Amino acid sequence: MNEKTALHPALSISGASCQGCVRNIRSALEPLIGGANQVEVSLDQQTVALPEGIDTAEAARLVTDAGYPAKPLGNSSDMKPDQDSVEHDHSDQAHSDKDGHGDGKGDGDQITLTVSGATCASCVNTIEKALKSVKGITGAHMNLADNTATATGHADSQALIRAVESAGYGASVIEDPDAADDQKQADDRKRYRDLLVKMTVSLGLGIGLMAYGMGFGTMMVTEANQWTWINLGILTLAVMVTTGGHFYTGAWKAFRHHNANMDTLIALGTATAWLYSIVVASVPGALPEMARHVYFEASAMIIGLINLGQALELRAKGKTSEAVRRLLDLRAKTARVIRDGEEQDLPVDQVRVDDLIRVRPGEKLPVDGEITEGNTRIDESMLTGEPMPVSKREGDEVSAGTLNTHGSIIYKATRVGSETALAQIIRLVKKAQGSKPAIGRLADTISSVFVPTVMLIAVLAALVWYNVGPEPAVVHMMVAATTVLIIACPCALGLATPMSVMVGVGKAAEYGALIRQGDALQTAGKLDLVILDKTGTITEGHPAVTRFHAVNEDTGRLLALAAGLEQHSEHPLAEAIMAKAKEQNVSPDKVTGFEALNGKGVKGELDGKAVRLGNRKWLESEGVTLDGLAEEADAIAAEAGTPLFLTFGDEAVGVIGVADAVKQDSEAAIRRLHDAGIRVMMVTGDVDATARAIARKTGIDDYRAEVLPEDKATIVSEMRGKGFTVAMVGDGINDAPALAAADVGFAIGTGTDVAIESAGITLMRGSLHGVADAIEISRATVRNIHQNLFGAFIYNSLGIPVAAGLLYPVWGLLMSPILAGAAMSASSVTVVTNANRLRLFKTSHNASKERNQ
Amino acid sequence: MSTLLVNAGGLLLMAAIVWWFWLSPSADSESGHDHSHHH
Repeated sequence: MNEKTALHPALSISGASCQGCVRNIRSALEPLIGGANQVEVSLDQQTVALPEGIDTAEAARLVTDAGYPAKPLGNSSDMKPDQDSVEHDHSDQAHSDKDGHGDGKGDGDQITLTVSGATCASCVNTIEKALKSVKGITGAHMNLADNTATATGHADSQALIRAVESAGYGASVIEDPDAADDQKQADDRKRYRDLLVKMTVSLGLGIGLMAYGMGFGTMMVTEANQWTWINLGILTLAVMVTTGGHFYTGAWKAFRHHNANMDTLIALGTATAWLYSIVVASVPGALPEMARHVYFEASAMIIGLINLGQALELRAKGKTSEAVRRLLDLRAKTARVIRDGEEQDLPVDQVRVDDLIRVRPGEKLPVDGEITEGNTRIDESMLTGEPMPVSKREGDEVSAGTLNTHGSIIYKATRVGSETALAQIIRLVKKAQGSKPAIGRLADTISSVFVPTVMLIAVLAALVWYNVGPEPAVVHMMVAATTVLIIACPCALGLATPMSVMVGVGKAAEYGALIRQGDALQTAGKLDLVILDKTGTITEGHPAVTRFHAVNEDTGRLLALAAGLEQHSEHPLAEAIMAKAKEQNVSPDKVTGFEALNGKGVKGELDGKAVRLGNRKWLESEGVTLDGLAEEADAIAAEAGTPLFLTFGDEAVGVIGVADAVKQDSEAAIRRLHDAGIRVMMVTGDVDATARAIARKTGIDDYRAEVLPEDKATIVSEMRGKGFTVAMVGDGINDAPALAAADVGFAIGTGTDVAIESAGITLMRGSLHGVADAIEISRATVRNIHQNLFGAFIYNSLGIPVAAGLLYPVWGLLMSPILAGAAMSASSVTVVTNANRLRLFKTSHNASKERNQ
Repeated sequence: MSTLLVNAGGLLLMAAIVWWFWLSPSADSESGHDHSHHH
């Protein structure tokens, strides 16, 4: 890093929206520049900064090839960041469309659409392909779990809608994300009811037909019942069209675009069974007597079962988005605003910055702001995961969505509407829930070739049955082909990843860990080295009294004298001592004649005697004997603290240890990381002795002391080079380069400032337990995804051969198409249910807390 | 005769599937632009 030369913005790019993109761009440029550290990517401004003398045209080509359209910045006007795109990255697309910047005119724009009619992994592929085919679109991503698609690039939103519609699905731009949520819930409820009605009708007919067949002893067509079967066939067709029409139209639209999806399989399967049956019913003479069997009930029942499966799936999907809904519910509807001395209840969207707002105990805070009057305790657990209410007084910041538990306060609004921390959190969680980790992209690739392959297998199975199967061969070939088509629907495959990601990201948010990207979620599970910044991460970040010892055990006097001196000082050490005195309910003595002596300490006077607080060297030079305090002073130094000796006249009163105290739970959190098999390393700018003391105290495996802030990124890169999957934990500002260089960056203790681009995961509270929590949740989520994918693959790879009749030669078994329909529905319901199981996950910290209670 | 027809029909159908979903121009040109980007 030391050799890093000055970088200048050289390229404008589009489509880069996360740290994964930054890494991709850096590695694309590495061969040209010679080192990834010599590249700086600004996600906000969508620019890449490079050292002088680099061929920018070549650099632009490399970045474009990596999937991010880039062009060299030619003149100064190009250098200005595209404000539209900055806004769009952080605000919902709806705003852009409303306020006229919209329709994707900025580089790196993201346009979010709700998509209807998508049911499986193939649909995802088709929709993403359709979006990418629109001119100007550089990336597209469809989230099956919440049926939204996000396109990156610059294109007219109507063109995107047309592209999706022509691919066979419905689409609309999300105008107002909040309204869209409510609308989506209402739509889902309506769809759920529709599906249940359709399911009842088609299953009713199927069961009726079966009963009829059994009641009359046969599903075979004879001369006597031929017309009845023809009429029943027409009735079945009517039911198929009314209750399963969406499968046929979906299949047709996909087919026209050379695509195949779940609809294709259902449409082909049910149509094959119906066509065969109607041929049997109309011209029974054309087939051998044994083959005159009708399968109308199969067509009706398959559609019924799949409608049932989709209804159950829809209900379970609703539960996965609970985390976001809970966040949405935190928003207050009204605010008690004081304008011109008058208090009035206003809808929260009418609150303006600088408005004064009164909040009474038990009320939710409507917007972010700063307390101007009153003290209280505020429950921030909903945002930070921190269970204890936090004391707040004048000048402290408060956030929308938190609960005022104690006193009445008046505060000044600083951030309103979509700018509040809560709104940002909601946006972030939603975005991350929709993102797809690498593992999910694999499933998509497989499923795009899957459906046509299944069609080939179905035809092949039919031919084999026809040529070598027993009589009636034509019936067997039809049954085998239909069953293969029906059982092979890849819906479980399509749902496997997004469902788990959605629940996992929501779960992490519950614990106060905001995951920005699906990739971060996946990588966090693989971490084997966590590098911690010291100040503010392991320690509190400000000095505090860690120990105090009085010669005659009178600690009250010690603190009263020390506070009496320090109340005149504004030094951080003085603040620490004052805080301790306050905590111990000790009132400061009236020390006068305060004087600060640089490099020595402070002194004053009480009752005509000198009061001194300072280092040993100074006090001993003043003739005070401190030998009785040596042991205690050594103990303080061993804990990386500074011993401050207090003398009154010529007598030693005691010693106070002040240090940047290690957070109470740091040691326990580091132990949890060790338990998870992760090495923990610390980097700090402090001297070696302090670093060693803290490392020993907290159980850290390794440390690097006297590291300059800019060298932290180099250490991260060095450890990655050694083969570790590295997490960097630090604050989002000083440690930004190191956070970005790590596989996963954790920005810690940022409270309500969630808009940290450099970190993959933002921890809302200061505790290191957040890191361990996020890693545990990540591992559980990845495990859940693996289970889902494994289940889906196993289901298909076992189901298809059985459906094709592989068991027939051994046991004489041929699966019925109805059973295939039921199995297919069961497979997607299983995947969704398994993902929902994650909602019950508890991190080891939480579980042990509950046990203790 | 019917065996021949059914088998030939089946093979033709398989060829048609392969052609329509993999070899025909529109499917090809679209997948060619398929960046592995995840947004």
